[in-house]
Amino acid sequence: MAISNAEGDPATGNEGGGERKRKRRADPPVAKWRTEGEQKTYSSKLIEAIRRVRRSSAAAATDHSRSRAVRAAADRALAVAGRGRTRWSRAILSGRKLKLWVRARACRRKPLGSITAASASHTTPKSKPPTLERKARVLGRLVPGCRKLPLLTLLEEASDYIAALEMQVRAMSAIAEILSAAGAATAEPM
Amino acid sequence: MSSRRSRISEEEITELISKLQSLLPETRRRGASRASAAKVLKETCNYIKSLHREVDDLSDRLSELMATMDVDSAQAEIVRSLFRS
Repeated sequence: MAISNAEGDPATGNEGGGERKRKRRADPPVAKWRTEGEQKTYSSKLIEAIRRVRRSSAAAATDHSRSRAVRAAADRALAVAGRGRTRWSRAILSGRKLKLWVRARACRRKPLGSITAASASHTTPKSKPPTLERKARVLGRLVPGCRKLPLLTLLEEASDYIAALEMQVRAMSAIAEILSAAGAATAEPM
Repeated sequence: MSSRRSRISEEEITELISKLQSLLPETRRRGASRASAAKVLKETCNYIKSLHREVDDLSDRLSELMATMDVDSAQAEIVRSLFRS
């Protein structure tokens, strides 16, 4: 399993085919999200972020807003772990307010001239464009910051994003397990 | 940026599609090596959505847990177990 540690140089031995013309994007190695080191680093950062959330949202916060704050902190920590090499990580870090603003703009522009006026629904039926394009658009909406990307870049971003999300789930599950075990332990009288 | 899909080689796209496919849990289990691009895209979308849901559930759980307990001692415990494994 050749994992190129792309700390300094772009991943070269990823596919093995030397014919790809590398413009300026370096293919981010997906395998790094599987390493234990990465997960540990992420876990400690996440715990710090959770502590901050806990301190800042003292008593008045509702369960839902605390959960959303945790989710936001987890996503930001994940984006930082991406080291700014991917679009989705940069999009998360540049702010979620930006996302809403961009979506409002896109709705007003209406690039594909579809007839339906209801732009709020996610699954607007479009029969004209081919199936592949339609699905690619749905995918572009799911990955942060990837709405209008060409298919190639979108697929790369999606691969990295999925690997990162898997790590996020693993790390958060582990932390939840430890916290609930520690909670049960401290609850018992010594 | 006009759509230059005809100029970008089909090979690259097929390559990426199969790389994406190898990340999906379904295909990892069945070991199928060829699925249509549309199917892979659809599976990918579903997978990302389910991952998002999982993260949301975990955030709920974590926010509950951290509300009811002393985070400092928990953090010591976490650091210990993180570095033990």
